[in-house]
Amino acid sequence: MSNKDKEPLFSAKNMKLLTGPLGSGNPVTVQILGICSALAVTAKLQPALVMALSVTVVTAFSNLILSLMRNTIPSRIRIIVQLVVVAALVILVDQVLKAFVYDVSKQLSVFVGLIITNCIVMGRIEAFALGNKPWPAFLDGVGNGLGYGMILVILGFFRELLGAGTLWGYRVIPESFYAHGYSNNGLMLLPPMALICVGVIIWIHRSRNKNLCE
Amino acid sequence: MKQTNTYIIVYSIVLVVVVAVVLSLVTLWLTPRQQSNVQAEKMSDILGSVGLYDAQKASEADDKNEYIKELYAKYIIESFLVDSKGNKIAGSEKEAFMALGNLKAEFAKPESERRLPVFVSKNGAGQVNYIFPVYGAGLWGPIWGYISLATNLDTVDGAVFDHKGETPGLGAEIANPPFQKQFIGKSLFDGASFVGISVTKGVGSSSGNPHAVDAVSGGTITSRGVQSMIKDCLGDYEPFLVKYGVKH
Amino acid sequence: MENILSIFVKSIFIDNMVFAFFFGMCSYIAVSKSVKTAMGLGLAVTFVMVVTVPVNYILNKYVLSTGALSWLGERYATIDLSFLSLIVFIAVVASIVQIVEMVVEKFAPALYSQLGIFLPLIAVNCAILGGSLFMQERDYLNVGEASAFALGSGIGWWLAIVAMAAIREKITYSHVPAPLRGVGITFILTGLMGLAFMSFMGIQL
Repeated sequence: MSNKDKEPLFSAKNMKLLTGPLGSGNPVTVQILGICSALAVTAKLQPALVMALSVTVVTAFSNLILSLMRNTIPSRIRIIVQLVVVAALVILVDQVLKAFVYDVSKQLSVFVGLIITNCIVMGRIEAFALGNKPWPAFLDGVGNGLGYGMILVILGFFRELLGAGTLWGYRVIPESFYAHGYSNNGLMLLPPMALICVGVIIWIHRSRNKNLCE
Repeated sequence: MKQTNTYIIVYSIVLVVVVAVVLSLVTLWLTPRQQSNVQAEKMSDILGSVGLYDAQKASEADDKNEYIKELYAKYIIESFLVDSKGNKIAGSEKEAFMALGNLKAEFAKPESERRLPVFVSKNGAGQVNYIFPVYGAGLWGPIWGYISLATNLDTVDGAVFDHKGETPGLGAEIANPPFQKQFIGKSLFDGASFVGISVTKGVGSSSGNPHAVDAVSGGTITSRGVQSMIKDCLGDYEPFLVKYGVKH
Repeated sequence: MENILSIFVKSIFIDNMVFAFFFGMCSYIAVSKSVKTAMGLGLAVTFVMVVTVPVNYILNKYVLSTGALSWLGERYATIDLSFLSLIVFIAVVASIVQIVEMVVEKFAPALYSQLGIFLPLIAVNCAILGGSLFMQERDYLNVGEASAFALGSGIGWWLAIVAMAAIREKITYSHVPAPLRGVGITFILTGLMGLAFMSFMGIQL
């Protein structure tokens, strides 16, 4: 970092913003934010990963932009200004996905649009971006996006592996397993199992961090 | 900070204008790409129904969409619309492909107004196939596909299906080769009457039946959707099939 | 008519917003602690849904989708504004919520005291925006079908949250393992209820 008087770009405090949401401050399992729609895309690994990246991009940049604007926003129309900025970012992401990864965007369908109402985005803007400088706000956005994405990817991994015996569309469970009577658990692919899996993840996460128990 | 009404109004106007300009520019820049994706997908489905499309090769090509368009131009020798009496409409070459974007509305029209697209392919060995689009409803949303028939307009030479949001691993299996390959060699007519192809439950339950295939296991409603889609949509083509087919 | 009825029943039971699509999970988890508040939020969601979906349907049909502007004249027939639909929908939802809040406060203070606190929550409830997006994606033929879908989805959401709240009121007396208490068990319960609702899928309408 060139300027020694300033706080370094990746100081301990800033790193905490980035890594906190990946562990004890995870937005999904601890803050219970943003479970909404995005879980519906976790039946396979690939859409889950694309969704995770999209959410990260949106949280990071909406945090950055609104943090830059924070001193000019009239408080009476605060919410609608936030919605407009977030919606614009989501539309950008949606258009880019449609143009460059058309196959995946078909699978994600309306769920990309629903990032707008994902509570993580609005929650982090309200709770962090409006009261902090752009750089920490950006890191906070990236951290929370990744923390959320991590859960999506974990879900996508197990649901695709157990439900279809594939990962990223490639078969990973050898044919010989099937010959010996192993069969895919189709239940894993159905929507309700996503919820049960999240429940189990919360269970594991909280048994390791006892202080989070209710 | 001063927050008068004027400030709020000016602020929101500036915000809206900035957002609108940015979005419009991005859309203008990306729309051609998106449309080319949609077009290429339809073309690859049409080619896929006669087994002339290899996804592996396409993804290795420098420009996937360009590659698909070249293939399409090479193998699809004719396309036209047919009316409800089964007559070809002259000069409808271009409209046939356009009509694919509007299939749902077209099948919903009263019979006398329907104009349905047909595509004719000729592969390297000189084999000619007729390709028909079909459109229907699965469990969660629309499903669609293309069925290719031999020149007797009875025997199925291939089929592809796709869907908007069927359950992955269950209903969504209709989009995969194991299900689609079953259709090859099946026939639509029993004697002179149109019966379509039914989808029967249970592995092997359809063996020996020339008018049936096995349903996707765990995807009963989606499979039933495929069955009624074939019956309804190809049924709408029946006058054409009867008129130009050799057997009837 | 038959079609409208089938869309209505289908969107309550088969395509249930919560169990099949996870819409509105955040407020669903947060507010399902007591039956009384759950009733209030359910009512508010249904109400806002029934107002916003038809409005967005009309906007989508006559302003946003390809060729929708043709009523303005030939020149406008090819304009496609669908990339703006997200921002328009969310703006409509946010402003209708605001208007509803003001109207209810003025004319039905009793109702306002019940719903008031929930209305701001609803602007960012995925179920509402999801309703509009599904309406757009499923291409309903007329306003009637779209409204039937909106009413059905709203009632389905209401049903889900009230049922969940009733279960959670009882479960406070059970010995749930500590790490699973609260949110964890709620997720698992929702999943199990979702499985139960899947049995409606066989119904042919």
